[in-house]
Amino acid sequence: MEHRTTRLNRIADHLRANWQIYVLLAPTIIWFIVFLYRPMYGLQIAFKDYSVFRGIDGSPWIGFEHFHTLFGSDQFIRALKNTVIISMLTLLFGFPMPIILALMFNEVLNQTYKKTVQTVVYLPHFISTVIISGIVITAFSPSSGVVNTVLDWFGFDKIYFLTKPEWFRPIFIGSGIWQEAGFSSIVFLAAIAGVNPSLYESAVVDGASRWQMMWKITIPSIMPTIIIMLIIRIGNLLEVGFEMIILLYQPATYQTADVVNTYIYRQGLQVGQYDLAAAAGLFNAVVAFVLVMTANTISKRYSRTSLW
Amino acid sequence: MSSVVLEKIVKKYGAFEVVHGIDLEIAAKEFVVLVGPSGCGKSTTLRMIAGLEEISGGTLTIGDRVMNRVAPKDRDVAMVFQNYALYPHLSVSENIAFGLRIRKVKKEQIAESVADVAGILGLTDYLDRRPADLSGGQRQRVAMGRAIVRHPEVFLFDEPLSNLDAKLRTQMRAEIKRLHKRLGVTSVYVTHDQVEAMTLADRIVVMCDGRIEQIGTPMDLFNNPINTFVAGFIGSPPMNQIDAKLTYDDKGPLADIDGVAVRLPALPELKHNEGRKIVVGMRPEHMSITPIDDASELPVTLDLIETLGSEALLHTMVAGKPFVAKAETNGKALALEDVTSLRIAAKEIKVFDGETGMAFGHPGTA
Amino acid sequence: MANMNLYSRGDKGFVIANMILIGLFALSTLYPFIYIASMSLSSGFAAQAGTVVLTPVDLTVAAYGKVLSEPQFWISYRNTFIYTIGGTVMSLIIIIPGAYALSRPQLYGRRFWNLMVAFTMWFNAGLIPFFLNMRDLHLLDSYFGIIIAFACNAFNIILLRNFFESIPSSFEEAARMDGANDFQVLRKVYVPLSKPAIATVTLFCIVARWNGFFWAMVLLQDENKIPLQVYLRHVITELSDDEQFAATLIDAPYSVDTVTAAIVVCSIIPVLLIYPFVQKYFNKGILLGGVKE
Repeated sequence: MEHRTTRLNRIADHLRANWQIYVLLAPTIIWFIVFLYRPMYGLQIAFKDYSVFRGIDGSPWIGFEHFHTLFGSDQFIRALKNTVIISMLTLLFGFPMPIILALMFNEVLNQTYKKTVQTVVYLPHFISTVIISGIVITAFSPSSGVVNTVLDWFGFDKIYFLTKPEWFRPIFIGSGIWQEAGFSSIVFLAAIAGVNPSLYESAVVDGASRWQMMWKITIPSIMPTIIIMLIIRIGNLLEVGFEMIILLYQPATYQTADVVNTYIYRQGLQVGQYDLAAAAGLFNAVVAFVLVMTANTISKRYSRTSLW
Repeated sequence: MSSVVLEKIVKKYGAFEVVHGIDLEIAAKEFVVLVGPSGCGKSTTLRMIAGLEEISGGTLTIGDRVMNRVAPKDRDVAMVFQNYALYPHLSVSENIAFGLRIRKVKKEQIAESVADVAGILGLTDYLDRRPADLSGGQRQRVAMGRAIVRHPEVFLFDEPLSNLDAKLRTQMRAEIKRLHKRLGVTSVYVTHDQVEAMTLADRIVVMCDGRIEQIGTPMDLFNNPINTFVAGFIGSPPMNQIDAKLTYDDKGPLADIDGVAVRLPALPELKHNEGRKIVVGMRPEHMSITPIDDASELPVTLDLIETLGSEALLHTMVAGKPFVAKAETNGKALALEDVTSLRIAAKEIKVFDGETGMAFGHPGTA
Repeated sequence: MANMNLYSRGDKGFVIANMILIGLFALSTLYPFIYIASMSLSSGFAAQAGTVVLTPVDLTVAAYGKVLSEPQFWISYRNTFIYTIGGTVMSLIIIIPGAYALSRPQLYGRRFWNLMVAFTMWFNAGLIPFFLNMRDLHLLDSYFGIIIAFACNAFNIILLRNFFESIPSSFEEAARMDGANDFQVLRKVYVPLSKPAIATVTLFCIVARWNGFFWAMVLLQDENKIPLQVYLRHVITELSDDEQFAATLIDAPYSVDTVTAAIVVCSIIPVLLIYPFVQKYFNKGILLGGVKE
């Protein structure tokens, strides 16, 4: 008996045998369409004179007018500048910390001590931004905060930190490092754990000191991980932790604190200029997309493994 | 028990064909071993029989049913996987019972079947353990138990012993053979290890590059390899294969190996082929270091001796190529300088075509 | 690397200096927690005078009394539990089957579906279209809206999908030959085999839900529906301007700072309680799943 497989036959066979996979997949796909792809359709209001009453489809097209408005607006330009500056500073100060921590962890010989310290430094990652902002506000409070108390001990004047534009970025970046440096070190610790132990053993036999081994073995071995993480960070350069900024900034510090996303939040959700804010969001998203794609291409070239 | 019949079975991945139209008939209760180097299509063939790979062309019949489009679970076959695929979260008895549970067999019946199988495989004391707490051999047994418990028409084995160490492998090999004798279930067994194939099989199927090279009983393949590939694959150490030229004297055909004449068997096919390129096949077992009747002598330079106990492997060079011989030691250590030549009787020599690699005088081709 | 005798005297100095440094870092990580706890247990007067540095001054639980007597605190605490439990369950209901389906080689259009999921990591419409979409779906001010709208994300799906893909296919094949269908393979084989990965995803969901504040703040107006974090934000940023509250401060044993600190402590406690259970998964490398395909 000759058996024939036509295309229709095969699809029918496939569905008969595998229909359950599609049932399992459906909720995920529906969710992505409803909650992530439908808003992409709504992005068209960036090119429209959007009004709530006429809706997305009913509002008239106006081309690039919102983008003209944005780039003519001092506030938006300031937000753009702040975004770049804050993310650069975060990269500069925040990126090396986890690597240094991981290297330090690696040199701790006592396992109990190591575990305890790790437990402590991972913890802030699990604390919400609201709580951290609460701690920051309390600690930097002009009258009761511990920072001003200590300044007072040393005879300095009290400073109302959170109203001073020049203090906003150090506080924001510092609290970010406090929250994430420990947890981010996990990636590098994993990379260090992957280094072949016989490299260290032969170095010990050759009489290398731990300091030398760190520089000659550990750091070169984890360099690929460092570079990949750096590329990822550059890809996400525009992703400033704006929730934290919303909680910490005030009109007095806008000049150094206001970033694109906080600008969008205020213009869109507080003032109600949805179309203009959507245009700013679209600009942000497109730049971010280009950055991520570039980062991925570079990483592919460098490591021959794509990031996703 | 059912027969398994493959007719012109083809497997393609897209446009890439990996199995090129295999014909194979496996009789009921037979133990057939598919053997070949990795990538030869033996596993793919087994997985097509199991229903884990779609059949791209040809017909698969198990018993009297065409199985091409039947789901694996409805083929009444059971498979033992290379990595056993034991569920780490289930105990031994739950692992064995898994298939019966899925099929909603009654509880009492499951308990009875599991107890039976555990008895057969000597697992009764381990039923409550997790796979992680078992030795490699025990895990192997659980994997077989899971196959046996369903009383399938056909057993499929996908390199089931390759994760075991050498000693356990020998032991489990014997156990599989015993089990087959006892249960008499049609079995298809895939391995790349020719020793396993030789010891287990009723018939061996040697595969290479998606084609069947030769089918036969183990002794058949050993004595009458159809080509140089099978000759090199079956037997350990493998048959020595030396390039030579065909010549004649008044007694019959000779192989000219770099000026040394070696008497060949007087096969009719070797007539009238003066100067033809041939490959001379000589099994290490057939080489002798002591004079024997009616033998050609092959001068060798001895390179190294591996003593195995009752016998030794002599690594030598013949015509600039490595050449291995096996010799009895009679309990005495051989000395290198003792051996300057090897002898072999003409009837033990295999002759292959230098171009195609096919055997001259093979019963299947004559 | 544990044998100290292997190292020279200089190495020992290096190791000890390193231990001290990293210990100091840990202490500075810990300090803000100690500070806030001490603040919450100090008197309003002491706090106001700036005398709280390390330990509580004029030990009192008055601030906690104030916090716990606020009905809104309990309402938002309850809401946070609803969002956390409901949201996490909803996440698992969507993510586990979805990740399984996306990991199946036999899925038609598998590349397309996976790309569709991954694309949202690189490009998203942004705050405004998301908000308008929620409004158009009538999911503003709705428990269900919060629970469903954040139930899924590409990262968690990909993390779990990668784990499923790493399970040897023979497990599935063995189950299939035993007669299992996809539902059974998922429930009886893949889910039990993936406990660590599922625990990780569950943990991510719980933490994200417990800590989530921005969208809850934007999407919820009804005070009866706001979660703890939104209430907390109100307390932190607006309490000092709240005249009603200011009125209660006269002669009270608490201040804005001690009340804020007390409420911060109340919302950290549940995190600290689950933290030890969660911690054992950190070093298993599974967290890296999303970083590298």
